[in-house]
Amino acid sequence: MADLDVPQSKSRDLDKLLLRPGNLVGPDFDPGTELRDDMREYVRILVVGAGGLGCELLKDLALSGFSNLDVIDMDRIEVTNLNRQFLFRLEDVGKPKAEVAAKRVMERVSGVKIVPHFSRIEDKEIEFYNDFSIIALGLDSIEARRYINGVACGFLEYDEDDTPRRETMKPMVDGGTEGFKGHARVIVPGVTPCFECTIWLFPPQVKFPLCTLAETPRNAAHCIEYAHLIKWPEVHGGKSFDPDEPEHMKWVYDEAIKRAELFGIPGVTYSLTQGVVKNIIPAIASTNAIISAACTLETLKIVSGCSKTLANYLTYNGGEGLHTKVTEFVRDKECLVCGPGILIELDTSITLQKFIEMLEEHPKLLLSKASVKHGKNSLYMQAPPVLEEMHRPNLSKPLYDLMGRVQKDTIHVFGTALKNEEKQSSLTKLRVVFKGADGVADMDTAIGA
Amino acid sequence: MSEPKTKYDRQLRIWGELGQAALEDASICLLNCGPTGSEALKNLVLGGVGSFTIVDGSKVEIGDLGNNFMVDDTSVGQSKAKSACAFLQELNDAVKAKFIEENPVTLINKNPSFFSQFTLVIATQLVEDSMVKLDRICREANVKLVFVRSYGLAGFVRVSVKEHTIIDSKPDHFLDDLRLNNPWPELRSFVETIDLNVSDPVAHKHIPYVVILVKMADEWAQSHSCNLPSTREEKREFKDLVKSKMISMDEDNYKEAMEAAFKVFAPRGISSEVQQISNDSCAEVSSNSSDFWVMVAALKEFVSNEGDGEAPLEGSIPDMTSSTELYINLQKIYQAKAEADFLVMEERVRYILKKMGRDPSSISKPTIKSFCKNARKLKVCRYRMVEDEFSNPSVTEIQKCLADEDYSGAVGFYILLRAVDRFAANYNKFPGQFDGGMDEDISRLKTTALSLLTDLGCNGTVLPDDLINEMCRFGASELHVVAAFIGGIASQEVIKLVTKQFVPMLGTYIFNGIDHKSQLLTL
Amino acid sequence: MIGLFKVKEKQKEEAKNTNTRGGGGALVKKQSAGELRLHKDITELNLPKSCKISFPNGKNDLMNFEVTIKPDEGYYKSGKFVFTFQVSAVYPHEAPKVKCKTKVYHPNIDLEGNVCLNILREDWKPVLNINTVIYGLFHLFTEPNHEDPLNHDAAAVLRDNPKLFETNVKRAMGGGYVGEIAFPRCM
Repeated sequence: MADLDVPQSKSRDLDKLLLRPGNLVGPDFDPGTELRDDMREYVRILVVGAGGLGCELLKDLALSGFSNLDVIDMDRIEVTNLNRQFLFRLEDVGKPKAEVAAKRVMERVSGVKIVPHFSRIEDKEIEFYNDFSIIALGLDSIEARRYINGVACGFLEYDEDDTPRRETMKPMVDGGTEGFKGHARVIVPGVTPCFECTIWLFPPQVKFPLCTLAETPRNAAHCIEYAHLIKWPEVHGGKSFDPDEPEHMKWVYDEAIKRAELFGIPGVTYSLTQGVVKNIIPAIASTNAIISAACTLETLKIVSGCSKTLANYLTYNGGEGLHTKVTEFVRDKECLVCGPGILIELDTSITLQKFIEMLEEHPKLLLSKASVKHGKNSLYMQAPPVLEEMHRPNLSKPLYDLMGRVQKDTIHVFGTALKNEEKQSSLTKLRVVFKGADGVADMDTAIGA
Repeated sequence: MSEPKTKYDRQLRIWGELGQAALEDASICLLNCGPTGSEALKNLVLGGVGSFTIVDGSKVEIGDLGNNFMVDDTSVGQSKAKSACAFLQELNDAVKAKFIEENPVTLINKNPSFFSQFTLVIATQLVEDSMVKLDRICREANVKLVFVRSYGLAGFVRVSVKEHTIIDSKPDHFLDDLRLNNPWPELRSFVETIDLNVSDPVAHKHIPYVVILVKMADEWAQSHSCNLPSTREEKREFKDLVKSKMISMDEDNYKEAMEAAFKVFAPRGISSEVQQISNDSCAEVSSNSSDFWVMVAALKEFVSNEGDGEAPLEGSIPDMTSSTELYINLQKIYQAKAEADFLVMEERVRYILKKMGRDPSSISKPTIKSFCKNARKLKVCRYRMVEDEFSNPSVTEIQKCLADEDYSGAVGFYILLRAVDRFAANYNKFPGQFDGGMDEDISRLKTTALSLLTDLGCNGTVLPDDLINEMCRFGASELHVVAAFIGGIASQEVIKLVTKQFVPMLGTYIFNGIDHKSQLLTL
Repeated sequence: MIGLFKVKEKQKEEAKNTNTRGGGGALVKKQSAGELRLHKDITELNLPKSCKISFPNGKNDLMNFEVTIKPDEGYYKSGKFVFTFQVSAVYPHEAPKVKCKTKVYHPNIDLEGNVCLNILREDWKPVLNINTVIYGLFHLFTEPNHEDPLNHDAAAVLRDNPKLFETNVKRAMGGGYVGEIAFPRCM
């Protein structure tokens, strides 16, 4: 315990939580100065997105005892960001978000190092993501969340008895907001449901029928989508529509106005045109601040164990009064992304053909007519004939070679399975381990497959 | 678009230009600019609040650098209010920024009239007795007040306003105002011009469901001695009746009609909530009644006269499968009725104003129009004086919450957040504020909490030791993330109070950062 | 999890010097969950003889493919129509984007190749698959309908004068004009 006369610590308030023992804390909480110092030295956090949530996350993490941060974002700053993305100023418009955000936080919080990455998330090597202890997501698209989730869950390994190995878990905290509403969640792959386990939480986007747009428009949005989806390609041929090009937007707006006048439909405005075409989600500073703070608090707890962790999904609604609610979602045991799949041990000599035959006999699978996929590579596809033909030469090759001579990896097999005496379409994850392989990959074959 | 309009685009889509204008007219006073206050104000500055004044008498210490983004290494030893003010100004140059280097408690005690210049006061990190005093001052001066406190992994937000009336409450889900079971003559005669048995299949599948349901409700009523379906069985039969009119399975308009059939069964007339507002004693207007209550008085007259039990028609219809022509015509019929209702309401409002000797044109047309459009969604929020709540909270509510697993943590923190102020009054420090003597602080806090519970009338109630221990561990720390969370909520409440849109929280929001079982308590 | 992070970070430091990597795996580019589902859809296709699928970008890009429909009955018999499919990583959360590459005189397909098929937009659900979409397209040729028009003129002719519609379709497929509009031969 610190003496009263030591010089004041910058972490005065945080120290109360990190240096003192507590009662309602995580199982591995070990309070003390070592914990505080280790957090600074050994924990690396990646913030994905430097927008409304990302700016807040960087600030919150920098003021919660973390010193090594990275931030990745492919966007540049726009004027419409300024009502909430508080690290940006009018003169920053046009500059990469990640770079400006990193710089601003470092200027204000001394001792924090933030590495910006002005890049698409898909353009980074997978191993880039493995360098971080935790990934904090401040994203607005399902696609990006799904990608990062796939990457993070991809690091997860299971023991022989299907127990997830703790040292391979890459925890994520994820936030999202829309107007006065938002959510914050904790994803510990192998322990709590991953993004894919609960993909149904995201409702599909509403899309108007094309024939409504063409024939029976009734409201302003119909007129706008007509101009955007039907009229633009008709008039501009191959030139694709760019929503960030003001002239393109103006054209769609003018056309929408004409159409609205033709049908006597009120309500087409430039603002609505932008909203419909770009699918703009309204966003305010306060909700982003609330959700990011919840995400950062959970990050702090996951790392230090200084309190219980959120189990596992928090929703916030501040429009009508104030409602926060915690829901404990459950994992999909058969999730193709975070689930254990089925463990299979193989000889390095087994050919793909023999392997596929083996799947038919395997008691847990009983899978006939199997197709096999390894990461992005299709190893074999039973149908359609044109693809079967393209993959056929693989059948006589050893699976070990086709998988890049790695000692173990995940593959997916799909075909018809016999379940409860009934034939069913099936897609299963397999953890393949090669007996007697040394585990050192041959880089050339791995990439060539 | 001009730059400010573009800058605010993403929020204009939520609260519109009227909301933005209200925000830009507001002057906010912030008491104490630790992380909780700074974060709350940050969100308002970004949104473009008119002006703010920070009141804080403290100097920046090294410890502040670890929890407050509005100070940096260079500001150590300087006025915290000055430093925070300068940084906040950087965020938005359209905002008028001011600071006063003075302890808010001194100001509350010495210069109560200071607060009357503001639209709203955000009071952060005040202890109980200052809260009580400030609450009285602000009630008196008719200044809105929001209390915020972060304390370790706990905290609260409490709104205090005598009365907050909302016309545009923007509920998430609200039944649209279609009057399917109570059509007015123009709607009825429009429906009669349309033949459900039209032979052209294209025409048949483009009859809007409003027309289908008005006809079906009529048909049903004729064969059921003028009643509408009420039992589960009857409702099912009604849907079958709708379904029987389909001529092909792909008729989306009929599918929509079946899905919307419940709108036919909805009760006629105004809701109990609107009924309650019209029965409020404030609806007996006098010359100093607010515009809102004058309009409620007019509404009350409208409902019992022209409205025949109904409020003014909202006037809009949802999108539905339809030919363009029928849809537009239908839309016009709803709009015309809404306009007619508005004109009657306007006349009644003007008459009431005149009767009271007020300028009949003192309430603008757009305001009356908005009132009519939202008449079914009106909200009135009233808040107890903090003093009343503190000395006389609802004991049954406290006990109910303590027994409920989802609420016990939150209400435990409510008691403890008050107990620490009593503790501080007695011992000149907060429990666990300094290292050492933790065990003594724990037992003292336990005793303090017990005596507080007894004073409140909750005899025999005990708080879990774990929670008391945690509260001492927190030692009055102000963690940045907790401050950002609670400050964020406070700023959102400020926006709702200032724009008079959406519905502010009713009660005290207790933040429980341990497991996020935070709750809104009405005590 | 601080203990774990500390150990890992220290291991990383060591690994930097010796340059080994453990475990294996993760060397192959990540696939998206959407891609996996699409591959499954493709192997399970059960198409009528008149529909063929092809992959212009080869076996390494199955997310973009073409479907050729040669109707064996109805107005469009013996025509040949090519559709392009673009499947996003969010599949099946989002429907595939489908366009008709062949300019066609059809009430439910406009001259730019936009297709009015409910399951491609408002009625798409993740339980649907590529097979359902192709059947939906096939159905448009055997039973074009004038009730949900995208090509207004063609729809009006089909409704008011099916004989003329038949002639127009034949003319268009043969590489002729319907009104002012020229169609490429697609028989």
